[in-house]
Amino acid sequence: MKYYRALSKTAGIVIAIIIIIGIAAGAYYYIQSQKTTTGKLITFVPLTGDFHKDIINVGKALEQDGVKTVQFSVWSGGDPNSVMRIYGIVEAAYRINNIWKQNNINVEIKVSTRYVSNPNDVYEDYINKWSLGQAPDIMANGYTYIASLASEGYILDLTPYLNNYTSFLNQFYPTLIEAMKWKGKIYGIPQDTEARPLYIRKDVAACAGLDLSGLAEKIKNGQFTWSDLYKWALKVKESGCAPWGLIHRKGSAHPDLIQFIYAFGGKLYDEKTGKLVFDKAAVYKWFTVEKTFADHGLLPHDMMSWDWAKQIHPTVVDGKTLAFIGGTWHWFEWQTKAYYTDPKTGQQRPLTAEEVHKFFYYTLFPSGIKGKHGLTLSQPFAWMINSKAGEQNPNYDKLKDLYHELAFLVVVKASDPDIIAIHSLISGHLPVTKTAAELIKNKTWVEELKSLKIKLDPVVLNNIKGIIEKTVNPINVQFLANVTYMLEYTTFTPKHPQYPKLASLFAEALDQVLRDKMTPAQAVNFIVEKIKADPDLEKSVEIVGEIPQNWTFP
Amino acid sequence: MAKSNLFSKIKGFVRSDAFIFLLPAIILIIVFYLIPIAVSVYMSFTPLRNWNIQRYIHEFVGFENYWRFFYMVTHDPTVQPIFITTVVFIVVTLIVNVLGGLGLAIATFFMGEKEASGTQLLWLLPRMTPIAVYSMIWYYFFHGSAIGTLNSILMALGIIHHPIDWGQSIIPWGPWMIIIFVNGLVGVSYGMIVFTSAISNIPKELVIAARVDGASNWSITKNILIPLLKWHIVYVTTWQMLSLLTTYDHIFLLVEWGLVNRYWGTTWALYIYNMAFTAAEKDLGLAAAAGVILVIVGAVLGLLALKIMGFDKMVKEPRGDI
Repeated sequence: MKYYRALSKTAGIVIAIIIIIGIAAGAYYYIQSQKTTTGKLITFVPLTGDFHKDIINVGKALEQDGVKTVQFSVWSGGDPNSVMRIYGIVEAAYRINNIWKQNNINVEIKVSTRYVSNPNDVYEDYINKWSLGQAPDIMANGYTYIASLASEGYILDLTPYLNNYTSFLNQFYPTLIEAMKWKGKIYGIPQDTEARPLYIRKDVAACAGLDLSGLAEKIKNGQFTWSDLYKWALKVKESGCAPWGLIHRKGSAHPDLIQFIYAFGGKLYDEKTGKLVFDKAAVYKWFTVEKTFADHGLLPHDMMSWDWAKQIHPTVVDGKTLAFIGGTWHWFEWQTKAYYTDPKTGQQRPLTAEEVHKFFYYTLFPSGIKGKHGLTLSQPFAWMINSKAGEQNPNYDKLKDLYHELAFLVVVKASDPDIIAIHSLISGHLPVTKTAAELIKNKTWVEELKSLKIKLDPVVLNNIKGIIEKTVNPINVQFLANVTYMLEYTTFTPKHPQYPKLASLFAEALDQVLRDKMTPAQAVNFIVEKIKADPDLEKSVEIVGEIPQNWTFP
Repeated sequence: MAKSNLFSKIKGFVRSDAFIFLLPAIILIIVFYLIPIAVSVYMSFTPLRNWNIQRYIHEFVGFENYWRFFYMVTHDPTVQPIFITTVVFIVVTLIVNVLGGLGLAIATFFMGEKEASGTQLLWLLPRMTPIAVYSMIWYYFFHGSAIGTLNSILMALGIIHHPIDWGQSIIPWGPWMIIIFVNGLVGVSYGMIVFTSAISNIPKELVIAARVDGASNWSITKNILIPLLKWHIVYVTTWQMLSLLTTYDHIFLLVEWGLVNRYWGTTWALYIYNMAFTAAEKDLGLAAAAGVILVIVGAVLGLLALKIMGFDKMVKEPRGDI
């Protein structure tokens, strides 16, 4: 009885009135937000493939529909120099707003951004928040996520839009467009790509009497293989020129090492069956090469758990190894992060562009088979558009298609050659279009960029000018131009949703091999057992080949 | 008859003062415990992936997720070390947490007020430090190369001449030592707080009287403090055991960064996490099935712990002849 007395009649009435007022206010606000215009709404504008015309048509349609502001959000992640992965969209919106202004269209795109250090966190957040309608409208992230995002219907199939934009599509390197596909449809627009060169210390090689002239060409043609590199590393160690012959990145950076599988003629994905491939022979050879290096003290036994900033990079930039399996972005990272210990002062500092150029020779990843060309591996980033893009904007249910078209056109604009070229020059990633690659070679334009005379959204310019000052110089421009050829020899990791599981098994097994806890054959069988222990993985992976009996290294 | 009896009992309870007093707690338990458990059980029977609730929530796959879970556990070659590690981790860390917390609470009880609060604050630091930062500190401390603080100290003192890879080369003791140390240090503070607040509620007259009779710190501890902390010891032990069964955050980072061996440094909760979340596809149906099994295991262990520690006897009504 006390319960009923606890709330007096008057208090009950007051609470009920407050609740009713709240509900009424909410309903009124909702009705008002939907009532943005009178008359018939334009819900779709046929795209012509002429960007200028299309963006004006979309702008006019939005204006007529009573939309004054379109809110878009963009998320991405990566190293601090790669911020154009979000500012590319901000810049595109700025350019579109200017076009609309010039054509007296009273609509504006406003972009909110989020950039974090780990792109995987962006992906995780995206899938967590998609159902809640809180995922970003546009995301720049690794192409490997396309498979799971597309299969869930989380991202927009861009094929119908691109059917009208064939000349736009043809600007991109065809291999990159292939990487954007899932089940024959295109779900992303390439944002950047990279190559993973093998860096060789010029000073260490000279100390051991090794001749680097023409090496890149020999590796490209398959005349210099991993057996040759092993012999070089041994010579360096024996002559005391460096404590290590080879350093590579740690466990979480397995894509670098996946190159070994391709170098030994193996594959990771079967296009016909759509399944992942575990090639026992190629993986066995990879493990054997690394074990041989480790057994002779040329590669650390605990390589897979080395610390990035305190061990891996200082060892490389201080010249304590002959070779390093890295990425193009490292060329720039060594110039911005203090990994190098200056022999004169004993202090750590970044290398200068001149020093990086003086110390490092770069080439493709050597083949494991004589006569087979060298290779590299790319993991392009893609602009992906949320299948609910524009959801935060007025009349979304009716204007959905129009918002999607606008999001697509924003991404088209973000692929302007100068936006791609700026991203490449400040982050060390390779341009994804031929026109951007040409622009990088244009000295006048590069000079304008360096002196910050280039026309950009002031917000964007303000956020990247510090990076431009540090990274844009003739040596880096030349580096990018020199490594772009590697894209012709590039390979990719599979886009299969189960691939990360398989990749982490590779890293796990290799660690055991390097630490001498498993032989290469045991490690291969261990992976087979692990695949078979997981019903999903077992269904997704074809196990092919056998451990070779008479194969030896070097 | 029985039904109407039960109904009238419920009706009576709802109308009672006890219900009004318990209502906030009942709501919290329903919202934060019962509903999530019910949702987890439901999810475990669906093929839910990648948080795509709209697509999968109405699909029903029966016991498939449970079958997959048992299949993986029974076929995985790395399960045995993980299972042994989990048992060792829970037992040893639990002892460290409970005895450490109790020891600290009693020690600070005999200290001056300033020293006591300073000591308590110091022991709370591991719990206050963000997980990534805290794990990073111990990552560098136990790092297996010369950059590791422990190795540097031992080498500087001339005790060792080459760095020791504590978490990778001394199997299984090295990784066990690290994960128990890192988690134990965090867990101790919880017991300390509970025991300290319990001790502060013990009537001071008992301690003063004992002092007057010439009792030492040890006999005060043995004869007054510990017997009066029985309830709290049971609570902290059960709570910490369940917490250790499900914890994986610090261990995840230490394994991921390569500080400790992947098999002899992984516990059951982390194994389940990796099983469901390593792929780009987030296998939430499988995770929910594993979670339900973990809840059952936790409930059984919790009941067992209460039984062993004589919880039944403690809740018996007093006989009134004391």
